[in-house]
Amino acid sequence: MSKKLLLSCLAAVLVFTAACSKDNKNNGSEASSSAVSSSPTASESAPASEPASEAPKDKVTFSYFLGVANAPDVNTNETTIGKVLEDQTGVNFKIEHLVGDLKAKIGTMIASNDYPDVINPDAGIDQLLDAGAFIDLTDMIEKYPNIKRVYGPYLSQMKAADGKIYFIPFSNVVGGYTADPNINQGAFWIQRRVLKEAGYPKIKTLEEYMNLIEEFVAKHKDENLTGLVTLTHDWRFFATSNVPMHLDGYPNDGNVEVDMSTFEAKTYYTTDSTKNWLQKLNDFNAKGLFDKASFVDNYDQYLAKLSSKKVVGFFDYGWQTGNARNLLTDAARQDPTQDDFVYQPMPLTWDGSKDQLQDPPGFVKNRGIGISVSAKDPERIMEYWDNLLKEENQVLRSWGIKGETYEVDDKGRFLRTAEQIAKIDEPFNLKFGFRYYAWDWPQYGTNSTLADGNALAPGYQPEVFQMSLTDADKMILEKYGVKTYAELFADPDERVWFPAWGIPKAQGSPEQIWETTKDEITKKFYPKLVLAKPADFDKVWDEYLTAFGKIDTAGYEKWYTEQIKAAIEAAK
Amino acid sequence: MANLATGTAPKKLSRRNASLGDRIFDTLNIIFLCLLMVVTLYPFLNTLALSLNRAMDSIRGGIYIWPRDVSLENYKYVFQQSTIFHATLISILRLVIGSITTVFCSAMVAYTISREDFVLRKFITIAFVLTAYVNPGLIPNYLNIRDLGLIDSFWVYIWPGLIGVFNLILIRSFIDGLPDSILESGRIDGAGEFRTFFSIVLPLCLPVLATVALFTAVYQWNSWLDVFLYNSSNIKLSTLQYELQKILQNSSASSSAASAFSNPDAAANAVTPLAVRATMTIVASVPMILMYPFLQKYFVKGMMVGGVKG
Amino acid sequence: MDSNIESETSSMTSDQKPTGLKLFFKKLVQQRMLVLMSVPFLVWLFLFKYLPLWGWTTAFQKYRPAKSFSEQEWVGFDQFTFLFHDERFMRVLRNTLAQSGINLVLGFVTAIILALLLNELRGVLFKRVVQTVTYMPHFLSWVVAAGIIQATLAPDGIINVLMIKLGMIEKGQEILFLGIPEDFWTILGLGTVWKDLGWNTIVYLAAMATIDPAQYEAAEMDGAGRFRRMWNVTLPGIKSVIVVLLILNIGNLMESGFEAQYLLKNGMNIDYSENIDIFVLTYGINQSNFSLAVAAGMFKSLVSIVLLFIANNIAKRAGESRLF
Repeated sequence: MSKKLLLSCLAAVLVFTAACSKDNKNNGSEASSSAVSSSPTASESAPASEPASEAPKDKVTFSYFLGVANAPDVNTNETTIGKVLEDQTGVNFKIEHLVGDLKAKIGTMIASNDYPDVINPDAGIDQLLDAGAFIDLTDMIEKYPNIKRVYGPYLSQMKAADGKIYFIPFSNVVGGYTADPNINQGAFWIQRRVLKEAGYPKIKTLEEYMNLIEEFVAKHKDENLTGLVTLTHDWRFFATSNVPMHLDGYPNDGNVEVDMSTFEAKTYYTTDSTKNWLQKLNDFNAKGLFDKASFVDNYDQYLAKLSSKKVVGFFDYGWQTGNARNLLTDAARQDPTQDDFVYQPMPLTWDGSKDQLQDPPGFVKNRGIGISVSAKDPERIMEYWDNLLKEENQVLRSWGIKGETYEVDDKGRFLRTAEQIAKIDEPFNLKFGFRYYAWDWPQYGTNSTLADGNALAPGYQPEVFQMSLTDADKMILEKYGVKTYAELFADPDERVWFPAWGIPKAQGSPEQIWETTKDEITKKFYPKLVLAKPADFDKVWDEYLTAFGKIDTAGYEKWYTEQIKAAIEAAK
Repeated sequence: MANLATGTAPKKLSRRNASLGDRIFDTLNIIFLCLLMVVTLYPFLNTLALSLNRAMDSIRGGIYIWPRDVSLENYKYVFQQSTIFHATLISILRLVIGSITTVFCSAMVAYTISREDFVLRKFITIAFVLTAYVNPGLIPNYLNIRDLGLIDSFWVYIWPGLIGVFNLILIRSFIDGLPDSILESGRIDGAGEFRTFFSIVLPLCLPVLATVALFTAVYQWNSWLDVFLYNSSNIKLSTLQYELQKILQNSSASSSAASAFSNPDAAANAVTPLAVRATMTIVASVPMILMYPFLQKYFVKGMMVGGVKG
Repeated sequence: MDSNIESETSSMTSDQKPTGLKLFFKKLVQQRMLVLMSVPFLVWLFLFKYLPLWGWTTAFQKYRPAKSFSEQEWVGFDQFTFLFHDERFMRVLRNTLAQSGINLVLGFVTAIILALLLNELRGVLFKRVVQTVTYMPHFLSWVVAAGIIQATLAPDGIINVLMIKLGMIEKGQEILFLGIPEDFWTILGLGTVWKDLGWNTIVYLAAMATIDPAQYEAAEMDGAGRFRRMWNVTLPGIKSVIVVLLILNIGNLMESGFEAQYLLKNGMNIDYSENIDIFVLTYGINQSNFSLAVAAGMFKSLVSIVLLFIANNIAKRAGESRLF
């Protein structure tokens, strides 16, 4: 600390210091350290199933760093849910969200070997594991009945290469699988007026879909319509490049299609499927039906186009277009004639066979929450998590408080009244704590079902979903003989490795480099292929194959196949 | 001469015998500058319009210089974060302290290296200039700041940026441009270095010092990376820009959460990153824009001549 | 203090004379006030700028932040080999130099011209308004600025609309400006000028404020017209500032910025948009390979310093003011 001394000397020499040193004192470092003041009274007796009800515990605050900026920083006990949980356990978390670059933040934590008590590092998890920043939870999990109950079926999948468990993932399903009635995943979207004009045909293939668009645009020449746009901006490029995988009848496993009988992982970037998809776009472009600005537009421009009512169709994931589609739905709610412009999702494949656009029950293994080596009292944290995983507390964090944010009918079904729905807006979500407990904690995964048969997530509860539909929504669903949008799509097959993109890859590994290079090549060539003169398409395709041939795709596929087989083994 | 010193000298002279060529030049000049203003004003008006438009409506695009669906929701969203008031205070504090210290320290060093006879002149100059081109990397820098005990401290905003090479060299080249006679006269009077610096160099360099003050003020006001790296867990030391960054990042999560609401009103009034970004741009930049005219007077006057005569 | 004439020789070459060291210390004692005014800042400089340079050792390691210095794995010049052997590296190097070169020239020329034009304005109020308005875009983040640039250059953006109105292109033949690789440098250069023109002008306006009005008067007596006065009085008056800033910026040629390119790049223009910083982000930092980032940083520093000394030497030979 001689540097410190030197610095002080330096300060003394410089003239200005005296003038403004007043502020120095009180801006010191009291805030962060004051919080953690727990005495080691905690819980050697922890395994008790009722940890909170005994003698009230000392209040303690743990710091929690969250690698995603999804809400303002908060003390959990300032929210309604968090207060209840604090009353039960005496534990409060001071959540700090990431602002800025995750890798930089995690890098500085590691380099200074000074961590918050609890970390959910999102994409930074490999870095932290590599640094040995998390404590081993394997034995502790055994002591906590609720954690054991909820995560029991997944424990083998949670193990790191050394056989220990360092963090707890979020997407585990408890009870039966409840599907999302809305389409948050991939779909081919089309304006409802197209379906209306065509008499609500049942569309199964891309061919039919594109013909429908082409005919519609031809019939409405004077409206200056765009047949198809795609999203390519920055990391969202996969909205364009993933399509062949889905048309082949596979769910979003990232860069590979996994054969359901041999469990071989194959990439699809050089297959006929990709070639055909790009050739279709090329064809549309030549006919003036494709918006070539798709390859230069940013995300905002893309959303603006989707909400302009001029775009007939597009492929994208529901969660990426929510804002634009909400805008159209909102307009339709106020003026039913606007329903024409609302987008209807459709499941398509090349040959009309079964689609797999809906995510199968998956278990994302490379995201989660862990306790850091700097944590003073891991047992108290585990106790809190165990308590949180009690069914009644899962109801609390998802549905809220009975009579306040939800009701129970005489059949025991949970529902929300119109007033309750109107009450729950953004500020309410924050104040009540729904936002803070929606994710990022050990939890029942979103698709879980409660023991009494109710959906864990209010939005997935059929009674709640039905209330969100307009008359026009109900009408079109009826035309297709379904009750929810999800029913339009095939049920997902079971894939224990899903999602394959969630299988952790070592930093700087050949797999990571392959993906980076692949991104670069595809981003460069797809626009060339789509915008080429149709006659040149094959020539450009050959150039693309040559460029793609330079990366070790076979090695990547081999690695993935091994990982998938290992995942299957682990799930047995 | 005396009256020239105070005013805008060259202009007065040329008005007296403005030729036709002069008039044409003036007219073209004004037309050109007006066009330039249109081009540079537009982005700002566009941003202002976006900030005053209902966020969900802005998604549709097509907003230029006038809001279409006027709403103050975006400003409400930004200002409902009570943390930004204290953060603004810290921002002002670092702006004021940072500007004063930087201007003063830079000028002092600049004075010493402007002295041709100073034995350490070349060494000091090179030592400073090289630092503009070397970057130790994020983590070594972080560890260094930590070892200096500046984590979780207000002074981490002041110390590392105390003297910028650009500012230093800028001031030095101004001092170099001062007529030797003036500095000489001070020395003949027997003034010490400090007196020469304070009573001759500082006043004569007012235009450049104002420039450096402006640059530093803007730098201090806008930077949030140091807050992020060194003080992120201490809300008491957070700055306006950092809080605005938080609000911006939250807005993207909150707009996608809004999509999931079954509450149509809440979804219709949700904010979006696009709108919040526009709003925070206005909130953060208006003080800096208002500050500029106050400093401009220092570049307009013929300061130096005033100095010689006075 | 001694007069300038004597010290001119002594300060630079003092240690080569036989009595050099003694003389040096003698002068040092004489100039103790100047020493007192500068040396504390040298300590500051060392603490904050030079001390952390130990970090450059990580360029020769496979750096893992969690490990201590002695536990790091040393890999010699592997990171540099990776950099220089990557076929993309020459391309990103070219882009870096071209982008910053264009920005440098455009930035200097336009800022000086605008400063000259502003200096010629008669009305103080109008001058201030122009100054303030041109200064405003500097406060837009690149995200906002890039959004506006993208909207302007889009097929339905103002440029294409104008071109159609003027009959330069047919409707339906709108140009995808950001999709033309060769145009990227121009777009970036113009975008940067647009954003920072007013900001860059400030320095020159400040320099012009110190020009002795008597010089204008004298020039006018000689019958010099508007342009002659600009050429013979104003420009020489700010020349030393221009030269010094030019030298500083030539040293900066390896820094072409990051955000603007990152936001404006797309698959179509990547061959011209990707610069060293983006390359390092993609293949270094995003792969948690901090060493590669440091190696690239070292390379940039080295080139920068060489460029700086060359520029400084040229200025010296040309008899212009120089950095050191």
